[in-house]
Amino acid sequence: MVASAVFPFMAGGAAHGTKLPAGAVTLSDLTASPRFGLKGGGSVAWLTAHGISLPAVNRIGAHRGMRIMRLGNEDILLLAEGAGEALAELKAAWANDTGSKGYSSWREEGWAWMRLSGRHAPQAMERLCALDLRADEFGVDDIAQTRVGHIEAVTFRSQMGFDVLFDVAASAYFARTTAAAAMQCIELPTDTEGHA
Amino acid sequence: MKILTCPMNGPRNIDEFQSFGPVRAEQDPDRTADADWSRHLFRAENRKGIVVEWWRHVPSNYFFLAERDLVTNQVIRTFDASERRAQS
Repeated sequence: MVASAVFPFMAGGAAHGTKLPAGAVTLSDLTASPRFGLKGGGSVAWLTAHGISLPAVNRIGAHRGMRIMRLGNEDILLLAEGAGEALAELKAAWANDTGSKGYSSWREEGWAWMRLSGRHAPQAMERLCALDLRADEFGVDDIAQTRVGHIEAVTFRSQMGFDVLFDVAASAYFARTTAAAAMQCIELPTDTEGHA
Repeated sequence: MKILTCPMNGPRNIDEFQSFGPVRAEQDPDRTADADWSRHLFRAENRKGIVVEWWRHVPSNYFFLAERDLVTNQVIRTFDASERRAQS
């Protein structure tokens, strides 16, 4: 297994020495990628006024290359992987607005963002999460707010497997839990039960 | 495993939820007799029957209501808090 370090890495911190699994189950850390969370009364109205059409709760929409994640009636998370410019413009407009606009939920600092990929990613996810996340039950636009690797998390499908957002303080714990699940999957044949 | 159906997230393991106790009528401390106020603060109802309780789905931090039979521990239904406001 080739491995990389957990972000944010601090010498002597809880994540010191933790490696992300790589291979048939790969965990990548996207925590440094741009994102922005808005919460509270006025959030939806502000985003709508700025041309963003919001999906239903627990669904994912799109706007200028960003993922628009509706986590609650007035709880929205914007993920801007490869769309940092569009997000920066929106954040600047939000910061300069003095009217009703919700409040920042600090998802860029409070949450870690990791991506589970690789040949055995679905099998690893079965061991990490109790929900039925098979493709016919859990589509590309769906969000599950549940437990992944024993911690509260938000998860959705990405091209390579699953993305998971959770408390950044649990980064090292999550990496170790995923590595343990990965070890159990390595010898498995793929698609034994038609999982994709 | 016990399953509770969250009105927002659907059926989930009971581990994902936190109970916040029965919905109680709010009392005005200035208009309530001391004995009644004391009872409101320090005593918990423990009668048989059906109770409406506050529950929270922890991963999404979503608060909702559940009707539960205290004798059988069966959850009769779960619903969004806006439904209660609409009734009162």
